[in-house]
Amino acid sequence: MSQTMCECRSPQEQRLLDKIEGKVDKFRATHERVFKMLERFDGMKPRIDIERALYFTQSMQETEGQPLVLRWAKAMMHIAKNITVYVQEDQLLLGRAGCDGRYGILYPELDGDFLDMAVRDLPTRATSPATITPEDAKRVIEDIAPYWKGKTYHEALNAALPPEIHKLTYDDPKGLISRFIVNETSSFRSSIQWVHDYEKVLKRGFNDIKREAEEKIAALDPMSAKDMCEKKPFLDAVVIVCDAIVLWAKRHAEEARKVAEKTSDPVRKAELLRMAENAERVPGEPARDFWEACQSQWFTQMFSRLEQKTGTTISNGRMDQYLYPYYEQGIKDGSLDDKKAIELMECMWVGMAEFIDMYISPCGGAFNEGYAHWEAVTVGGQTPDGRDATNELTHLILKSKREFPLHYPDLAARIHSRAPESYLWDVAETIKDGSGFPKLINDEEVVPLYVSKGATFEEALDYAVSGCTEARMPNRDTFTSGGAYINFAAAVEMVLRNGRMKKYGDQVLGEETGDPRNFKTWDEFWNAYVAQHLLFLRTAFIQQHIVNNLRAKHFAQPMGSALHDLCMKHCIDLHQPHIPEGVDYGYFEYMGLGTVVDSLSAIKKLVFEEKKITMDELIKAIDANFEGYDDVRALLKSAPCYGNNDMYADSIGREIDRISVEFAHKYSEKDLGMYYNVRYVPFTSHVPFGKVVSATPNGRVDWFPLSDGSSASHGADVHGPTAVLLSNYNTKNMGMRDRFARMLNIKFTPKCVEGEQGTEKLVSFIRTFCDLKLWHVQFNVLNKSTLLAAQKDPQKYRNLIVRIAGYSAYFVDLSPDLQNDLIARTEHETM
Amino acid sequence: MVENNNAQGIVFNIQKYSVHDGPGIRTIVFTKGCSLRCRWCSNPESQRREPELAYNKGRCLGADKCTRCFKACPHDALSRTEDGFVAIDRAKCHGCDRPCAEACPAQGIIVYGKTYTAAEALKVVQEDSMFYARSGGGLTISGGEPLLQGDFALNLLRLAREKHVKTCIETCGMVDPEVLREAGQYLNYVLFDIKHMNPDVHKEHTGMSNERILENFRMLVETYPDLPITARTPIIPGFNDHGPDVRAICEFLKPFERVQYELLPYHRLGTQKYIFLDRVPPMGDLTLDDKKFSALRKIAVATLGDRVHIPR
Repeated sequence: MSQTMCECRSPQEQRLLDKIEGKVDKFRATHERVFKMLERFDGMKPRIDIERALYFTQSMQETEGQPLVLRWAKAMMHIAKNITVYVQEDQLLLGRAGCDGRYGILYPELDGDFLDMAVRDLPTRATSPATITPEDAKRVIEDIAPYWKGKTYHEALNAALPPEIHKLTYDDPKGLISRFIVNETSSFRSSIQWVHDYEKVLKRGFNDIKREAEEKIAALDPMSAKDMCEKKPFLDAVVIVCDAIVLWAKRHAEEARKVAEKTSDPVRKAELLRMAENAERVPGEPARDFWEACQSQWFTQMFSRLEQKTGTTISNGRMDQYLYPYYEQGIKDGSLDDKKAIELMECMWVGMAEFIDMYISPCGGAFNEGYAHWEAVTVGGQTPDGRDATNELTHLILKSKREFPLHYPDLAARIHSRAPESYLWDVAETIKDGSGFPKLINDEEVVPLYVSKGATFEEALDYAVSGCTEARMPNRDTFTSGGAYINFAAAVEMVLRNGRMKKYGDQVLGEETGDPRNFKTWDEFWNAYVAQHLLFLRTAFIQQHIVNNLRAKHFAQPMGSALHDLCMKHCIDLHQPHIPEGVDYGYFEYMGLGTVVDSLSAIKKLVFEEKKITMDELIKAIDANFEGYDDVRALLKSAPCYGNNDMYADSIGREIDRISVEFAHKYSEKDLGMYYNVRYVPFTSHVPFGKVVSATPNGRVDWFPLSDGSSASHGADVHGPTAVLLSNYNTKNMGMRDRFARMLNIKFTPKCVEGEQGTEKLVSFIRTFCDLKLWHVQFNVLNKSTLLAAQKDPQKYRNLIVRIAGYSAYFVDLSPDLQNDLIARTEHETM
Repeated sequence: MVENNNAQGIVFNIQKYSVHDGPGIRTIVFTKGCSLRCRWCSNPESQRREPELAYNKGRCLGADKCTRCFKACPHDALSRTEDGFVAIDRAKCHGCDRPCAEACPAQGIIVYGKTYTAAEALKVVQEDSMFYARSGGGLTISGGEPLLQGDFALNLLRLAREKHVKTCIETCGMVDPEVLREAGQYLNYVLFDIKHMNPDVHKEHTGMSNERILENFRMLVETYPDLPITARTPIIPGFNDHGPDVRAICEFLKPFERVQYELLPYHRLGTQKYIFLDRVPPMGDLTLDDKKFSALRKIAVATLGDRVHIPR
């Protein structure tokens, strides 16, 4: 079974996984259809399909000057009419946004200004490469990119940022290279992650939504300029886009019938005819059974991907909830069994695995290394009424997760204090089997926070996981902009270098807080850090103010809006900065919590309290990247670190969090009109952010990755996983609401979770995670490859504890011989 | 026992999130000192009562990069080796509070053994109380032989129960019966090693005969019939890895109907710590064959049935 994580999956790890996936799988026999489909694109580099970009651009050229939402709907209609429709061998579902196999599509409205350059580099770039045919590349360069020059959101943003904001955002005048200090993310996605109200599509169908829009048009006041200029174009767009998706679906029906005619195998022929019937009916009309429901959801999801590049793809929502009535009915009337239900869902998983969420900009690629994907399928949690929501389908999806050979879908399990044991055991077994999935999201943190920020209990209890760790309420949330990713390790460096960074030479980027050699007390140092911290926050908030107001001029989302109660009620596109009655949740990212806390802890303790190192010595050691200063480096590393339930370090972490939370409390709603709150979720971006930060006082060397999310620095957590959870809790300001997700990764050796007893202990560990009201956790049950990595790079893995009855030691302290012994056992255990 | 929250003990490790030594998620307090000298001991640093200096070459930065320990040693007991590392002259090393370990920035020189009061140790244990609440875990005292430092162990157990922390010990049984009897009243769970039934073989491999161990075992079971006890046998190549060895232990355990039984496979992971202590690992490269271990467990099951713990 493969593993993946929301966080850093390096290309090496990915390759290793692919290799593992190449083995003959014990589940092949019972999942033959999906295995056959997967084998067809096994090991293939993703291809770029340009059709979406081409038709979108053609239409936009035709409609200049019209209201944007209407233009977008027309572009969707143009795509629906012209894009190639596919009927794939063995597939039971129809609808994809591009060619056979693994593919990515282009969104020139986001990055058309450098698309030509990017397309040239794409096949050879180091992170997340992709192939494109020379003819297609030529069309992109000649027909698509030129139209967008001067029109993209990215260019507008680059031009709109005042110099003092620009210099911390970009490294070049054109804004093509990130500074990786206060990094904007709004230009490589048109909003932060999103999830649609799929239940609405399944129950009502797009024809009914179109009817609603037409009724509203009929009821408009023709004398009202607002009705005519704002509401009517929106409603017209809804009508067009509803027609567009239905037309697109019917083209699939036609194609499926054509293929059926040519098919001699009677079983497949019958399948194809049934698929054609499905596509004839949904998503226009309500779904009548499980197959139609899956088909309706799938068309909606894929059309949504054609419509827009939402950050980290469109999530799948609470699948075990909205599909359940169809499942229940099918089981009852005998038309469905568990095997068929799993097969249909796995046909969706295959489709998800084939669609690559391409990041064209080098920055986006580095943020989401290894073709990262977050199509989050949510299971479990509570009903809007606050009862436990698990059902048979919940367990079936978890079972599929254990048996499906790829790391798709991105599965999220909601946990709450009354989650039944049967569910948690199944979740724990899945984590053990699948080495990492599902990730866990905690209702006991999410629900009260959302309620405190304006949602009703009913809405908050019905949240769906979306993106990496976030949560969305599909009819209450709004489409907020991608926020700033802020490199706070750079703030520490700027204190040590009086506002400068080694990477950027003599340029003054931060506050000139003075020569730290002259600081007499820890308080002076701390205050200098706070000054840099506040400068970064100020920069992020100004950046966001500009982003929020610019975005609405560049993006519209008629289909997404048609599925949103409030957009339909107020006749307004989801991209507008404020939707009446909506709640606007957005966030900025604290990058490098562990790195910063450990650095400040080392300075406080060793320089100011114990005086074992002078500030001059520290700076010299850092300037030399610790070369010739190994003893100083070792000493710095011995200071109390975040992740050990040590209040010396954790209290610094809480103070740091407090600065962010208080700033957000003071300025988000007042200035930005949204909850722009702190979050600790880096994707894979702690790697590129680390590349601009020189050595740090926690012993980290030049350009090494920062700590990730709310996890400890590499190898710094040496007291086991309970201490990691407690440190996380210790650094939160529980009395304030101005926070969002914290991502936490925990590693276990297989021995820790071995057998039934191991599962039981994992379940109780998850219960305590829930009690502590931590937002997110995901587990990585170590496999052989990780132990091999630890053998190679002991520094990074010095926290890896081998727990065996009556005995304990650090893995890296064992001799190579003994390590091999243990590696051999681990292999044995995972077989 | 005199009730004393400040009773002192020498502890060489307090390990959180321990999942193999008693029910639930536990914290193990490892105390120093043991009457046995088992050749296979995986915690050699636990055997002597007094704190010991150890040297982990893998963590040492090397004498080219750091000389802090040489400068710190008041007895001139540390010297540079030919390959650029550190040698400890243990004859010269004595009687100081080991400033070399304090000076070492890299945890290359460490001291096994630190003094804790019962109250201090419990405070560390209680840090994970949220995890015990959910998992049914708590405190395990292990060693060495935890009851050898009777005053400390008894006070720690008493204090734990006072604070509603569940308790467990891992004992080798070679202890003062009165201390064991007293401990029983504070214990929720006991892991009791029965290594071999033959007194001579036992003596040859552990340094002590087994009579007292077996007597203590019987006393504990009879005094506290409701106390859950698991007898454990580490299966050691060349010592007790033959069918009759295990069968004899099982026959001994058979009448104690409520006692559970567990076999633990020998592992060599403690080897490195002998080297840290400048000692020769007595077991050399010996390993235990997996199949042999499974076969022995089957023998145990034949006698004791489902009282034998088999990891599932």
